[in-house]
Amino acid sequence: MAEDFSTQGMLEIYLYENGQLLERLQEIVLEYKDEECFDEDSINEIFRAMHTIKGSSGVMMFDEVTRISHKLEDVFYYLRESKPDNVPHMELVEHVLQVVDFITSEMIKIEGGQPADGSAEDYVTALDAFLNKIKNGEGEAKKEIKENVYVEPQQFYIAPMASSSSRFYKIYLTFQKDLPLANVHAYKAVYSLKEIAEDLLHYPEDIISDESAAEEILENGFKILLQAQCTEEDIRGIIQEGYDIQKVDVYECSAKDFQQGFDSVGSEIRIDLDAPIEETSVAGGEMIIMAPATQEVTEKKPIAPGDFVIESKGPGTGKKLAKDKPKKHDKAAFMSVDIRKMDMLMDLIGELVIAESVVLQNPDLQVPGLKLDNFTKAARQMKKISSDLQNTIMSMRMVPLTNTFQKMNRIVFDVSRKLGKDIEFEMIGDQTEVDKNVSEHISDPLMHLVRNSVDHGIEMPDERAAAGKTEKGKITLSAKNESGKIWITVQDNGKGLDRAKILAKARKNELLDPYKLDKEYTDKEVFQLITLPGFSTKEAVTEYSGRGVGMDVVVSNLQAIGGSLEIESVLGQGSQMIMKIPLTLAIIDGIVMKVGKSAFVLETNLVKEFMRAQQDMLVMKPDGQELVMVRGECYPVLRVGEWYQLSDYKLDMEKAMFVLVEIEEQVICLVVDDLVGKQEIVVKPIPDYVKKVKGLSGCTQLGDGSIALILDVGALTK
Amino acid sequence: MSVNEKQRNKYVTFKSGNEYFGLKIEYVNEIIVHQEITEIPESDDYIKGLINLRGKIIPVIDVRIRFKQEPIEYTDRTCIIIVNVNDIVVGLIVEKIAEVVEIKEEDILPPPSIVIGGDEKVQNKYVYAIGKVGDSVKLLVDPDRILKDEDITVMEQAIEENTEE
Amino acid sequence: MKILLAEDDFVTRKFMTNFLSKYGECDVTVDGMEAVDAFMMALEDDDPYDLVCLDIMMPAMDGYQALMGIRNLEKERNIPKEKEAKVIMTTALNDESNVKMAFELGCTVYSGKPIDQDRFEQVLKKFGLI
Repeated sequence: MAEDFSTQGMLEIYLYENGQLLERLQEIVLEYKDEECFDEDSINEIFRAMHTIKGSSGVMMFDEVTRISHKLEDVFYYLRESKPDNVPHMELVEHVLQVVDFITSEMIKIEGGQPADGSAEDYVTALDAFLNKIKNGEGEAKKEIKENVYVEPQQFYIAPMASSSSRFYKIYLTFQKDLPLANVHAYKAVYSLKEIAEDLLHYPEDIISDESAAEEILENGFKILLQAQCTEEDIRGIIQEGYDIQKVDVYECSAKDFQQGFDSVGSEIRIDLDAPIEETSVAGGEMIIMAPATQEVTEKKPIAPGDFVIESKGPGTGKKLAKDKPKKHDKAAFMSVDIRKMDMLMDLIGELVIAESVVLQNPDLQVPGLKLDNFTKAARQMKKISSDLQNTIMSMRMVPLTNTFQKMNRIVFDVSRKLGKDIEFEMIGDQTEVDKNVSEHISDPLMHLVRNSVDHGIEMPDERAAAGKTEKGKITLSAKNESGKIWITVQDNGKGLDRAKILAKARKNELLDPYKLDKEYTDKEVFQLITLPGFSTKEAVTEYSGRGVGMDVVVSNLQAIGGSLEIESVLGQGSQMIMKIPLTLAIIDGIVMKVGKSAFVLETNLVKEFMRAQQDMLVMKPDGQELVMVRGECYPVLRVGEWYQLSDYKLDMEKAMFVLVEIEEQVICLVVDDLVGKQEIVVKPIPDYVKKVKGLSGCTQLGDGSIALILDVGALTK
Repeated sequence: MSVNEKQRNKYVTFKSGNEYFGLKIEYVNEIIVHQEITEIPESDDYIKGLINLRGKIIPVIDVRIRFKQEPIEYTDRTCIIIVNVNDIVVGLIVEKIAEVVEIKEEDILPPPSIVIGGDEKVQNKYVYAIGKVGDSVKLLVDPDRILKDEDITVMEQAIEENTEE
Repeated sequence: MKILLAEDDFVTRKFMTNFLSKYGECDVTVDGMEAVDAFMMALEDDDPYDLVCLDIMMPAMDGYQALMGIRNLEKERNIPKEKEAKVIMTTALNDESNVKMAFELGCTVYSGKPIDQDRFEQVLKKFGLI
């Protein structure tokens, strides 16, 4: 495992490995919390984990962390060697969790560049007392065991100081067009920075004697790499835009970027804000295609003494080392990628899909009698590759929900203990994967729903007994894929939602239509009321569920990623909160249909079947709802053109099509004018400026350049 | 949005109804010929729909409708001015594009108090000043107001203008 | 305490000299080769250095080579481990592979740059140098 990280910083590795160990510890503890005691394997695992953390923390000189892990290691060493009976399990569990929490909070500080200044004193004392307790509990039969000797490390690693010191910047200067002697102006800029610079490099290198540098500077800009203990404002104060300098761009970068000088393979995409929309210019000279040289390196070349001898170091040049260090990530099991680059990749693949359809549906190809066999074969191959590309890219962004769910496990444990409720936690389908973006957005709403269940849902033990509930309070978190969406459910066997109470509260807060009677509201509608802003049936605001920052925030968080919340409940038995989130927002397989002059798109997997329209299949109900009879079944009809009141729309039933769509076991029939075909479409949002339209979830460009609107069938069926 | 010295006083002018209007050039990204517009159901009357501009989907507004003038058929003279106001990109469908003119500060005067064709209240909503160009006047409009849907009172408008520029 | 510093960059050299002179008398060299020469001279004069601060990236000879040179000199004279000079590598290089190699070659402390002065002092105390 160490091999994989050899190009990562010491601190990052330390934090990562500890993070993994701590997570594993928490998992073990929660697994065994309801048992009588830890088994041999888990004792060993915990011992080894603490031993490792103690060791590495010692070398890194994080003394308090070393102390506390050493102490816990002692406890588990004793447990391992002595195997005592009657160890107070719950107490032990709490101790372990306390240690995990302490170390985790120190890790967070270190990650954030702050000193790890927590004191382990109290914990160490408590652990000492605990260890003595179990040792003395042994009574006569005290076996002779080896002392857990602590050997101090002999070599230490001091992590570099974080924020308060040197920072690294990439500075791009664009000079005014046709500025004479640009190289001299560049020199002025460099000179003015020397005051604050700890180290400074620039490109072109020779700006004093080389006059051709002036041209290079005017064409491609002047680039500076700066190491200094200053802020961006300070830099801008020294180098200002004016008669000579047109634009100053400053980007903070890492020490590594600085050290790589101008050979950096990393590219920057500079967006020129003043340019018309289509230009996302890649500044010439920045985007360097991966040189073949780097691709040749397949074996990892280990570093050796002598690699770091400096060959040449003139003014303005980077430190060139004896051995060119190629970028080597070939054996890495994991790679961290800037999420923005992933987003760019997603956008590009979307553009590719569109470009593909423009090619394949090109009017130039519509010449009748054209033999396109070879072309079709080639097109098929291309489609296959682009489809594989899409799937791979989308899968790169997918992460399992496991981590998110595990966090909930801990929350249930903590909150339930503090409230004095005994609650079991179950996870189903945590291996389900979602887009990284989605997993980040559901963490907070999920936390809120889980806390709600623990706080409001599950009753106190005496209440449960009084209600005749013999089973333990249980919260189940489950995830599953369903018709293109991910359903994440928080289910509890608590007291459920009280319909009458909710209606009463809603009436009081004037959230209801005064003319609609209580009984006219379906259960589903009543339960949705609790998601309205400012609604809360619990009079006392508890520490755990907060006030008003509640269900309405959950819902809006979900809506931000195109999801929704459904609530089901049975009074006295429990509630189910179901979050429904679209799997991937970007590219879907769709059926394009024409309605009048407009084009609409439906998700392919929602289409049950379609057929030519026949007037005699239609039936009108007395309440005005039109139905269609298909093989003995009746389905509600939605005439898309008329429903949306498209301008100049006239439905010609003779030529129309019926499209049966099914979503969540509801089927409706859409009436459209024509089916154009099936194709992959890139979902683009309808510009914010346009207010939300019911039933439309986005838009897309078709192969011929026209725009089609994407139908949100779920909204239409409501 | 940086204002180049040279761009400061330039305005794109266009005809709508009987009048010529002017729009500060720094809001203008580009001007394109009229192209196919995809209707958006259930939208306000002045929002005509969406267009596809080299891969970007942009909403477009009919300026005549916005100014509460009678809408007219689109001809081959009809153009769309693509504006960027606070990062919102919208296309303005105008009847006819006129030239880009330079109007110096001293030639810019407060808006007329008398009605010049059309609804006074409406025009005053969008017109913040008039600019003299040779013998003619252009009614200078603020794209931000054209985009927004607020009803500002004449009073507020007057205050705003006094503090403008 | 006798200290040997090897650092090729002028600005850093100034900073390090200021910083280290608090703890003892500081001799300055500008590359790996000079550093090993200075170390050898001190050994021959029977007045060896207690602490050696080496930059890694230097001309002529890098920090790793200098470290090897120093440890070899000590081995040659059969200097016992406890009496070995404490060597602190100071560098902006932070990869695990760099650290591993440094430890394998016998460095005592690896300190990333910018230097955490408090920690630095802490470690000197740990080894009883101050």
